[in-house]
Amino acid sequence: MTAVLPAPAATGAGEQARLVLEVSAVADAAPGIRTLTLRRPGGGLLPGHPPGSHLVLDCGGRRNAYSLTGDGMPAAEYRISVLLCPDGAGGSAAVHRWRAGDRVTATGPRSAFAPVSTARHAVLVAGGIGITPLLSHARAAVRWGRSFELLYGHRPGAGAHLAELHALCGDRLGVHEDTAELLARIGSVLADRPLGTHVHVCGPAPLIAFVEDTAGALGWPADRVHAERFSAADLDPGEPFVARLARSGLRVPVPAGTSLLAALEAAGVAVPSMCRQGVCGECRLPVTAGRPLHRDLYLAEPERAAGDAVMACVSRCADDELELDL
Amino acid sequence: MGAAHTSVPRWPAAVPAVDPVARRLALLGLGARGAAHVQRWRAAVRPGVPVWAHTAARADDATLQLLAAEVGGARVGWRLLLAGPEVDVLAARAVATGLGALDSEIGVAVTSTRRRRVWCAHCRDTTETTQPVSGEVRCRGCGRRLHVYAHVSRRRGAHLGFQVDAEELP
Ligand code: FES
Repeated sequence: MTAVLPAPAATGAGEQARLVLEVSAVADAAPGIRTLTLRRPGGGLLPGHPPGSHLVLDCGGRRNAYSLTGDGMPAAEYRISVLLCPDGAGGSAAVHRWRAGDRVTATGPRSAFAPVSTARHAVLVAGGIGITPLLSHARAAVRWGRSFELLYGHRPGAGAHLAELHALCGDRLGVHEDTAELLARIGSVLADRPLGTHVHVCGPAPLIAFVEDTAGALGWPADRVHAERFSAADLDPGEPFVARLARSGLRVPVPAGTSLLAALEAAGVAVPSMCRQGVCGECRLPVTAGRPLHRDLYLAEPERAAGDAVMACVSRCADDELELDL
Repeated sequence: MGAAHTSVPRWPAAVPAVDPVARRLALLGLGARGAAHVQRWRAAVRPGVPVWAHTAARADDATLQLLAAEVGGARVGWRLLLAGPEVDVLAARAVATGLGALDSEIGVAVTSTRRRRVWCAHCRDTTETTQPVSGEVRCRGCGRRLHVYAHVSRRRGAHLGFQVDAEELP
């Protein structure tokens, strides 16, 4: 993505700002969705970030990525909205237990879903809790006077941030509680938008697939369509490839549906890891040959383009072999 | 910088085909050979898909204005196919990308690379020449002798030119 930031970025390559934050307010945005306000314990400005960025929070022994809903200008507070996933791995439940005054640690913010600065118009599509990065996009678009529209689908009664979205977007917002209606609306929008429009979608995997397929069929080139997936669980199994370890000479096959990280571990190769969903940066491995297929949220755009590192927990290889400096 | 990093375009050897998912096509042919490509593309467009087609001797101001009007009114799903000498095709592509078209929406068939345009870094005028890259050309704006540098600005569709021996001046 060609992201150019209206705000000074704190997302330089490799640099990982470690933040200690204090929960300053807790509120319910919708049933099961908790909005947390975070600030520096002593007060003061937090780093600005491109719209659509996320913060990686240490929560309940895990690290989860949560979208920042602000417009990205440096501010005294960050806000995140977290959906409680009762059968999730527990990260969201831990966040839901936090109270005002609690101290938490985080890294970031990191940008992997930024607006396109040259876009003539932006179509923002959100499903469920996928509204959070797009609320950030909408706020920034309003702030900078950029043309956009937002299509937001959610289950009846489960819409988050509705009042602020209406106030912010006015008639640029379309809210749909009915899935068929949302999909029909997406289809008609994608059928007729000016050249120079970009689409940004965040939501459940089937919604993202619908947007990508519909856009493709209507002649949208892939580089006009930008998606943010909730988690590694939403990633497809991918193609099999072989990891070749340059130093030890070991060859480790990585079947479809198995991560590079899991395959290496099974072969007795120790690789540090933590989140196992492409957000924390622990499992980064140096690549010496083969093209990585980046599927993480961790590496910055220049690092991806360089192709000399791969996040083993989620990313794969576009070639038959990926050579690692191990 | 090695050759791999030059911004001088290397054009695909194959003539691009009409994209079957396109919902509207713009075809622009410059010169006789460019016009011939437009004719072939036109015949390959699915019936019912609207086509804007234009041919001209060169990518002059009038032609580029017509193209700009077409791009300005286009909706996503539109594709542009350009054919002609590199110098004309670069100028046309710069107009299209300046109005929001992406490289993935533009196909190019280059019929000749003999001519090039050189943008003077000193007076900002543009001079056309048949000098090769690394050759020398007299700027029509300021009269300086310009070195034709191996850098093509996508925005201007022209090579960068700067004064020969610029570094030796006081
Ligand atoms: S283990 Fe966290 S990015 Fe891979």
